Amino acid sequence: MFQSGRLMIALAAIGVLMSAGAGAQDYPTKPITLIVPWPAGGSTDISMRAIADSASKILGQPITIDNKAGGSGTVGPATMVASAKPDGYTIAQIPITVFRLPLMQEVSWDPAKDFSYIIHLTGYTFGVTTSAESQFKTWKDVVDYAKANPGKVTYATPGAGTSLHIGMEQIAALAGIKLTQVPFKGGAETNAAVLGQHTMLQADSTGWRPLVDAGKLRLLMVWTSARSPNFPDVPTLKELGYPMVYDSPFGIAGPKGMDPKIVAKLHDAFKKALDDPAVVTTLAKFDMVPNYKNTEDYKKFVTEVTNSELKVIETLGLAKKKN
Amino acid sequence: MSDPTNVKLRVNNSELWGGLIGLVLGVFVVWSGLKLKLGTINDPGSGYVMFYTGILMCLFAVTIIIAAVTEGGATFGSRWTGARWTKPLVVIACLIAFALALDRLGFLLSTIPLMLLLLRLIDPVRWSLAIPIALLAPLGVWWVLKRLLLIQLPAGIFEIG
Amino acid sequence: METLLNVGQGFGVALLPINLLYCFIGVFIGTLVGVLPGIGPISAMSLLLPITLSGTPESGIIMMAGIYYGSMYGGSTTSILVNIPGEAASVVTCIDGHQMAKQGRAGPALGISALGSFIAGTFALVALMLVAPSLASVAIAFGPAEYFSLMVLGLVVLTFLTQGSMAKALLMACIGIVLGLVGLDSITAQPRLTFGRLELIDGIGLVPVVMGLFGVAEVLINTEQIIKRDVINAKITHLLPNKADWKASAGPIGRGTILGFFLGILPGGGSVISSFASYALEKRLSKTPERFGNGAIEGVAGPEAANNAAAGGAFIPLMTLGIPPNVVMALLLGAFIVHGVQPGPLMITQNPGLFWGIVASMYIGNAMLLVLNLPLIGMWVQLLKLPYNILFPLIILFTIIGVYCSSNNVFDVYVMIAFGLIGYFMRKLGYEPAPLVLAFVLGPMLENNLRKSLILSQGDLFTFVERPISAVCLAIAVVLLVGPLLPSLRKKRELVALDEGV
Repeated sequence: MFQSGRLMIALAAIGVLMSAGAGAQDYPTKPITLIVPWPAGGSTDISMRAIADSASKILGQPITIDNKAGGSGTVGPATMVASAKPDGYTIAQIPITVFRLPLMQEVSWDPAKDFSYIIHLTGYTFGVTTSAESQFKTWKDVVDYAKANPGKVTYATPGAGTSLHIGMEQIAALAGIKLTQVPFKGGAETNAAVLGQHTMLQADSTGWRPLVDAGKLRLLMVWTSARSPNFPDVPTLKELGYPMVYDSPFGIAGPKGMDPKIVAKLHDAFKKALDDPAVVTTLAKFDMVPNYKNTEDYKKFVTEVTNSELKVIETLGLAKKKN
Repeated sequence: MSDPTNVKLRVNNSELWGGLIGLVLGVFVVWSGLKLKLGTINDPGSGYVMFYTGILMCLFAVTIIIAAVTEGGATFGSRWTGARWTKPLVVIACLIAFALALDRLGFLLSTIPLMLLLLRLIDPVRWSLAIPIALLAPLGVWWVLKRLLLIQLPAGIFEIG
Repeated sequence: METLLNVGQGFGVALLPINLLYCFIGVFIGTLVGVLPGIGPISAMSLLLPITLSGTPESGIIMMAGIYYGSMYGGSTTSILVNIPGEAASVVTCIDGHQMAKQGRAGPALGISALGSFIAGTFALVALMLVAPSLASVAIAFGPAEYFSLMVLGLVVLTFLTQGSMAKALLMACIGIVLGLVGLDSITAQPRLTFGRLELIDGIGLVPVVMGLFGVAEVLINTEQIIKRDVINAKITHLLPNKADWKASAGPIGRGTILGFFLGILPGGGSVISSFASYALEKRLSKTPERFGNGAIEGVAGPEAANNAAAGGAFIPLMTLGIPPNVVMALLLGAFIVHGVQPGPLMITQNPGLFWGIVASMYIGNAMLLVLNLPLIGMWVQLLKLPYNILFPLIILFTIIGVYCSSNNVFDVYVMIAFGLIGYFMRKLGYEPAPLVLAFVLGPMLENNLRKSLILSQGDLFTFVERPISAVCLAIAVVLLVGPLLPSLRKKRELVALDEGV
């Protein structure tokens, strides 16, 4: 028994070595899982599905989307670095909260060390909406109401520490008002919350667009640098007197220690996917502008973002307490 | 009390032990909740619900313990009369061995022996029947999953399965 | 009139040969994945999504929808035959369905679940056509406070599922809630009760828990018995439900359908709650509640109808608001989007052919499923004639496959073995697994919504009684909890008195 057990381990070890060697050459030989850390049906989910679909045609293997929502879009990537093998068969969308949350609280991952960054893809268009039946017709109405009733104005975000949460707190600080954040798991949930008037406002990426088009929601502002061509009547943050632009760019990464050859294969496939007309149309639907960065630039960008985020968070008093 | 299978404050009162395990788990959950921070009622923290669920667990466990002591409970012996307790143990042992082998040997090479063991060790099925079942069932399932439904199964080091 | 015209147009689309073919492929695959426990429609749909892209949007989505409701049909088969629920909603089917199988009535149980599903599915579709747009508001009327109260109601329903001690059932429910909370906190992303195990960061999977507590534990209990050899200890009488069965099931199917349809509209655990709630309702209304848990056909008919009606109701928020109420609907949403159709308030008017075509295809699909499933009943019942020493290794094989396929992770196989052992001891000591599983599913939603509603109300607990829907849910919960408690207390006291007398 003992003998054969050892033999088994030896065989297993050889097998692992062999399969690792063959992996990079033939990759991919089985379906790839792409973790999307937001609930299905939101703008990220839909655009990632379109991109993944196009990339899977190039790679010749299906890419399955795994929606692991929660923790402001960090539960998915955190789960990936904790449990997935760096074999290229499990990758995740990386929202900016992966860099920001570690600055605000204890977390289980280190953005500088735990990921193999693959490619930077695009960013969001954010906006603040309210129900069409709401008393708020413009952003000024909100500010006036909030001044009279501090803390009474509630807004739904896709999670604490997301760009929407930080952005709204910055706006509130500049306007001298107090707002109450209610963290949901993502766009599909915040849509329902604001439609049912459970929260007064919704701050989220463009998943609200079909509802705004249908006249069920009213868009109060967008957080882009210029007005969106889809909503020419809606003012930007700058026009409202807040000198800020928020777009919260995102890319994809795998667990640390991925074979550079596999990273390159994935990078090439996703880069091509960004030019696919089907992807371009889907992104345009959600006002997402492609923001391509290659593997090297993405790594540098992570450091830059971490530094600039730290400043913002410290000024808002949301930074992690130093021991 | 003349019924020997129903005892009150005895070590072999199975009801008492069930309640005690529940109580230990409850205390552990309360402690975990406290460690995770309760937060405030305006903004409940990660341990808020866990803490109160733990308190409820302790409450229910104490109810079970009180009932076990006052009304008595079945003895362990009576719960296992006529049971061949080694058989479940064999099944569990086979399953653990299987789980250890699954990733290394692949689906087919680990499932076929598992089936053969289960067929022969518990209530032996004659070989002429056991071998075909142990071979055909995993193969059939494997074919349906892999070929029809395109679901991944572990291939193992020999790349079969 | 306009609706009729639309329906006609829809059937025109759905009856195209190519769409009929896609529909059949869809329901066939759906039945297949539904029968295999643990392999839900999700993996099959996400893998087949690219294939559907080649055809028209209608055929692609018709096939995807076929997989979804096909799997709903198949889900109860293993619950009834071998006490392994294929999904959370089928847990309740196990309670009476498997008892029926043991009494040689697997045929009627399977038959009533297939026919009940067909009736419920048809009704849900009619309702979907007539009232879909006006019911959209129901889906959004539920905010965090309402969900919290609904979850509380769901947990109270637990007390109806148990035949044994109430304290034990409630203790199991609490354990279920805590198990559901394992993993990263959905609000702060803090790891909870993970004991440093990386695999637990993601939480404990439902499939391994259910397979362990039901499938493996059942096998362990059976293998230790010497005398009882076969699953069934009675002769198989007839294959389809008889007149008496129909008479008993008509009411439960009707009530289950309505309950399921409305709960199915709610994003979140609607379909799970609806099957449990239907069971509780039937037990409460029954003149002979003691039959429940011992093979009452009402306990199979009601929940199965509720489960399938919920599958129809779930289309409402997707088609009218673009809000998918569960992962399967989200996959369908993905399919719509990839085909260039945006589900939302404008979809029915902008793409009437697509909307009505899909609805009409679901009618056809439901009929196909009935034709496909009824003959299979005979085959399933034959399976039970196998001696147990041949059957149980096969049961183990299917639980393993279900668990492994749900996550592609061997760790889950260990989780299943652990819960198999836990389930074995639970049964030995008289603790029931169903409350644990329901609480396990509802627990995380309960917690998340409680915290959100407290943030919204600024810590004011009155929010739960001030909001009408929430107040109604809580009121029903209180009535359910207190109502049966009084007579049972009295009975217990009488029993104690008798004991002392002796």
